[in-house]
Amino acid sequence: MRNYIITIQHTVIRRVKSKAFIFTALIMSVLILGMFALSYFLGESGPADDSAENSPGSVMTVNVLDDTETDGYFAEQLSAYDDGHMTFAEQTGSFSETREEASEDGEYVLRLSGSLAELEASLYHDEQGFEGAGPEREVQGYVERAKEDLIAEEMNLSEEQRALLFDPLVVSGQPLDQSEGAPSDEAFMQSYWMVYGLVFAIYLIVIMFGSMIATEVATEKSSRVMELIVSSVNPVTQMLGKITGIGIVGFLNLAVIAAAVSAGSLLTGEHFLTQVVTEMIDYSLLVYALIFILFGYLIYGGSAAMLGALVSRSEEVNQAIQPLIFLAMIAFFISIFGLNAPDLTMIRVLSYIPFFTPQLLFLRIGMTSVPVWEIALIMTLLVISAVLILLLAARIYKGGVLMYGKFSYKEGIKQALSISKKEA
Amino acid sequence: MALEMINLHKRFGSHEAVGGLDARIAPGEMFGMLGANGAGKTTTFRMIIGLLDPSNGSVTWQGERLNYRRTHLVGYLPEERGLFPKLTVKEQLVYLMRLNRMSKTAILSELDRWLDRFQIAHYKNKKIEELSKGNQQKIQFMAAVLHRPELLILDEPFSGLDPVNADMLKEAVLDLQKAGATIVFSSHQMHNVEELCEEMIMLKNGKAVLQGHLKDIKRSYGMKSLAVKADYDLSFLQTEAGVLDWREVKDGAHLQIKDEETAERLFQILAARGFVRKFEVEEPSLHDIFIDQVGGSTHA
Repeated sequence: MRNYIITIQHTVIRRVKSKAFIFTALIMSVLILGMFALSYFLGESGPADDSAENSPGSVMTVNVLDDTETDGYFAEQLSAYDDGHMTFAEQTGSFSETREEASEDGEYVLRLSGSLAELEASLYHDEQGFEGAGPEREVQGYVERAKEDLIAEEMNLSEEQRALLFDPLVVSGQPLDQSEGAPSDEAFMQSYWMVYGLVFAIYLIVIMFGSMIATEVATEKSSRVMELIVSSVNPVTQMLGKITGIGIVGFLNLAVIAAAVSAGSLLTGEHFLTQVVTEMIDYSLLVYALIFILFGYLIYGGSAAMLGALVSRSEEVNQAIQPLIFLAMIAFFISIFGLNAPDLTMIRVLSYIPFFTPQLLFLRIGMTSVPVWEIALIMTLLVISAVLILLLAARIYKGGVLMYGKFSYKEGIKQALSISKKEA
Repeated sequence: MALEMINLHKRFGSHEAVGGLDARIAPGEMFGMLGANGAGKTTTFRMIIGLLDPSNGSVTWQGERLNYRRTHLVGYLPEERGLFPKLTVKEQLVYLMRLNRMSKTAILSELDRWLDRFQIAHYKNKKIEELSKGNQQKIQFMAAVLHRPELLILDEPFSGLDPVNADMLKEAVLDLQKAGATIVFSSHQMHNVEELCEEMIMLKNGKAVLQGHLKDIKRSYGMKSLAVKADYDLSFLQTEAGVLDWREVKDGAHLQIKDEETAERLFQILAARGFVRKFEVEEPSLHDIFIDQVGGSTHA
């Protein structure tokens, strides 16, 4: 245990102190902050002024000219509304004056006329065509609300009657398949993003961390320091320490990115992060996601360490881990395809294969309803496979670290097993 | 016995790297292991420290097989030198010695002591890749001895060193022996073995061809060295009976002969021919024995 922790410390500190890590972290942070700053400044001073007013955080001012037959009821009522995003200001001047002033200040003008029965409303702004019709719809909502309030008042409706009449009805989308556990529309979209995120995360982990593990092992082998290390620490302990250490380094990498995103989000007032946390993450799936990332990492990381131990020079690492990267790519593409057809038999069958389980079983759990017994069965297979892969990796690693020569899978594995064998 | 090998075998597939070694090494002894490249020395060392499991037989340290619970008792200098090129001397040794259960305070004090002894204290915070090969070797040696091991395995400790540094390391090895360490080492440089070892084993193709006390081996070895200097051509000696090997040297010849009787006979032949400046019968050097036993496939 002591040597396991020392190996982790050594791996983490060496990596984190390396120029490559520091520069990557710095460049990533600067890029992320730069992107936030860019979108912020484009929003502030870009050519499309209305987009600035529509952007979150800015306040739209609507000047109300009330020429209706309601004695200025609408102007008064609308001025009372303030949701922090849109404010209404009553104007008594002429339309042309008001329009001029509003144009200078980049504000809106709402002109209301006619009787309560035939109410006419027009919204004016510098730009002729409002993009996305957002402001019109919003203003329409407020005017309708004011109109409803006035009618209710004239009809002497009680609070309860008003509530009955005006409380909004929410229509929620449901899938046609009403079997138990089938996710709703909203949950489906959340799962979609979660699955997409996890599949992408596992792919990145394999590509980045897998090659980091293999390179780390191969570098120690090529500098010939490996024999000295494994004379003091069990190669299996060392391998697991390295896998854990690289995992922690990867986690730190992600933490730096997350910190940069949070900082950018806070500084510019973007709601991106809040949106991710509240709308895109389904917390019931989060536990599954963490379990699958862990086992995916162990399976692919163990294999990467094993392949790294088979090569003698760090230049051969890419060649050695090529099959592993192909596996991850296949899993990635099947998963992306499966996002639109999670019920396919092929997806179901492939989710039993340990190298695909983390991505495909998560996809199935997130997007369809998988019976508990099946989840338990596949998870058991996954755990057993992870243990077997780590045991095999440890055997090959133990022999492989003492082996030098030309790289070949068949000969290399055979030789490594022969070296680590007790009774040859 | 401190270190005991009984009928030790190691096979890799159909290849037998070590084939039935028996050796008993007493505590505090300096034991030499000789052999050409590929004779099985490194494989034997790896079995001693538990990196490889024997195919047959056993190797024990103080009655027990060495495993990862006891590796801190062993110091190992592998033949293939290797350190982390990007780490400093201090970082390197702190990491390696922590794996050998030393506390950081103890490591730092021992580190200073050894750096002073090897006159390289100013390299403490230098990266390994910035050091000369000889100085890297000193650091590698320190990685084997800093934790004061009971058993020290040195695979070719003096190769690649200049005479001054080789003497410095030799002195350190002798001091470690005086402090009680049992030392097993291999070398292609026979004079090192002759200088340091009392007991030795010579391997050929994984098997012991000679084994025992160095002086006894030399004394009882069925071959003598003969140095002759004379004013006339000595090449006729190579065809005489009992001459095993003949080599021309400046002003004379160096011969390997079968026994002392051959020496007597050759002396009479030479005396009959003319004046003999030098006629010296010696016990064979380890170098001669090595060449005789192992053949010419060595760097010695």
